[in-house]
Amino acid sequence: MKIFKSIKWRLQVWYGLILVAVLAALGFTAYQLQRDLLMSRIDSELQRRFGVIADALHGHGPGRGRPPFDRPPSEQTPDYPPPRDQSPGDFLPPEERQPPEFHLPPQQYALFDPREAHQFYYYILDREGKEIGSSTNSGAPFVTITTKLPGEQNTAPDLSSGRVPPPYHFIGHILPSGETIWVGCSIAPEMAALNTTAIKLAIVSAIILFFGLAGGWWISSRAIRPVENISATAVKISAGDLSQRINSADTESELGQLAAVLNSTFARLEASFAQQKQFASDAAHELRTPVSVILTQAQTALNREREAGEYKQTVEACQRAALRMKKLISALLELARLDAGQEQMKRLRFDFSRTITDSIELVRPLADARGIKISTELSPLEIEGDSERLGQVVLNLLTNAIQYNHDGGEVKAVLKPENGIVILAVSDTGQGIPAEDLPRVFERFYRADKSRSSGNAGLGLAICQAIVAGHGGSIDVTSRENAGSTFTVRLPAPGRPA
Amino acid sequence: MRILIVEDEPDLLSGLAQALREEGYAVDTANDGEDGFYKAENYNYDAVVLDVMLPKMDGWQILARLRKIKKTPVLMLTAKDQSRDRVRGLDTGADDYMVKPFDLPELFARLRALIRRSANQTTNLIEIGDVKIDTAARNVHRAGKLMELTAREYALVEFLVLHRGEVVTRTQLYEHLFDENDDTFSNLLDVHVSNVRKKLGAEFIVTRRGHGYCIE
Repeated sequence: MKIFKSIKWRLQVWYGLILVAVLAALGFTAYQLQRDLLMSRIDSELQRRFGVIADALHGHGPGRGRPPFDRPPSEQTPDYPPPRDQSPGDFLPPEERQPPEFHLPPQQYALFDPREAHQFYYYILDREGKEIGSSTNSGAPFVTITTKLPGEQNTAPDLSSGRVPPPYHFIGHILPSGETIWVGCSIAPEMAALNTTAIKLAIVSAIILFFGLAGGWWISSRAIRPVENISATAVKISAGDLSQRINSADTESELGQLAAVLNSTFARLEASFAQQKQFASDAAHELRTPVSVILTQAQTALNREREAGEYKQTVEACQRAALRMKKLISALLELARLDAGQEQMKRLRFDFSRTITDSIELVRPLADARGIKISTELSPLEIEGDSERLGQVVLNLLTNAIQYNHDGGEVKAVLKPENGIVILAVSDTGQGIPAEDLPRVFERFYRADKSRSSGNAGLGLAICQAIVAGHGGSIDVTSRENAGSTFTVRLPAPGRPA
Repeated sequence: MRILIVEDEPDLLSGLAQALREEGYAVDTANDGEDGFYKAENYNYDAVVLDVMLPKMDGWQILARLRKIKKTPVLMLTAKDQSRDRVRGLDTGADDYMVKPFDLPELFARLRALIRRSANQTTNLIEIGDVKIDTAARNVHRAGKLMELTAREYALVEFLVLHRGEVVTRTQLYEHLFDENDDTFSNLLDVHVSNVRKKLGAEFIVTRRGHGYCIE
């Protein structure tokens, strides 16, 4: 059943079981203590009466010779008829130490008042097991002895047919003189009291159990609530709403910490998703313009019959647009591969200054065309890595330095070691990059120049950064407007951990 | 009808300009924001096709500055297709918004609608006497018969019809029928007016001497 899979319910069930066990143990103990207390009271009452009877039997106890307690026997007589006289036939002739036939002193009648709830009774046997006295009173509930004691003192008389309401409690002792005295009573009042106690205990336990369970429910609900929060939020997030966060006020508890960890994970996920979304949207955006060119050119050309020259122009425009898309798609693919880490960087030692010199030779025609001077200051340094990819970085930086330079400007490339790293700095004397754009130049699709007439998608520097990062290095830029920019690449020297 | 296109991608600009010229519009072009704003500010275009991402001054800035001085209908053309970009464009004062890549026939239709709305016309069909002008099909019927008009002649008729009841000055006509590359000091306009009268009736275009022309 689903309900038993819920932690809250399981907690509640366990809690309830434990509570019931504790209450049962407590209740049982309280019941036993109460019972023991009542029984010990009864025992002491019985002991007292035993003493009285024993004394009365031998004439030296508190019974015989003692003055009546507080009432004259004449008054007691109607209420407490004297014990039934034993018929002479039942009576055995006394021996040497013939015990006297027993009569309870009238002042002690109160002790065996049959109207009293306990209905104390006594029963006395002589040495031969003959009854010499009992409390069986006329008009009062009495006990008929059906089986005489066969002289075994520990055996209780059979009281099963008695009219004293069961159950009974009694003690029996043999006096030194040989008589056996049984004193007993009904413990029905105690049983009733114990029943009342049991009912009270049960009611109190039920109340405690109810409040305990209610409190337990409240506590487990509170304890579970953060988990429910987390789960509800996770459900929303899995449904696609990445902006959801777990609302957790306390950050100290284990669940609060879990919520904080999850929240930061969600934030990173959202940022990464947003970046991906932005990337896809930027890529689509960059493709829109060349597609527009092709569509517009083609639709215009097809509107009517044209001369061969016009068609050629249209096809050329379409070609330019297609080449631009090709370039963009290659750049996107390259970035995607670099991102995925699929592009394994080679780890070979090579002379980085050679790579730079080669790259400069490649861009020299571009620089010459605009009268831009390229100067170098290259220490012959070896580095470890992918010479082709790093060459791509150098070429990109040099091309940018020329493209964003003014005619007749200067480009300078410096390669030097510094504190165990290799530093390549490419500076130009161009327009510079506005301060507000500086932190963003390595972002994908970012162009300080908002137009796209340059034909660059704004991915070059992003690719450079990805390649340099793949070599364990870093790239940054400093710039002053109208004075030029310097791009600095830092790479680990060979033999050092990246 | 004279239209300004502001677009920095040269192949797109030339393609659009050619297509619109072939539709009979007089077309001016600008390939950056500053040039575009200068032209929009100084000539009375019937519509402006404005790209958003432009060097020097972007489309939003041009639109915001233009709206302070003119009501020229503006159709924004942009690669940004998110709803908030469209909302921003329309709220800034653009009259219409198209996302690249666009379909040329749709662009033409939207431009026609823009021009029609700015002239307070609600339909493409305008009847004046026995002359029926269809601004969507760009043709003119007289007494149920299709009249052969050149693109310029049609443009002249359309402009006068859209300003029906108003006296349109020669300067206005020059401004709206010829683009920046035409020699506006020729008497080309008189030739066109004369040809239209031959085809649609001498009374179709009334000359207000010293003022200009009018269709009543």
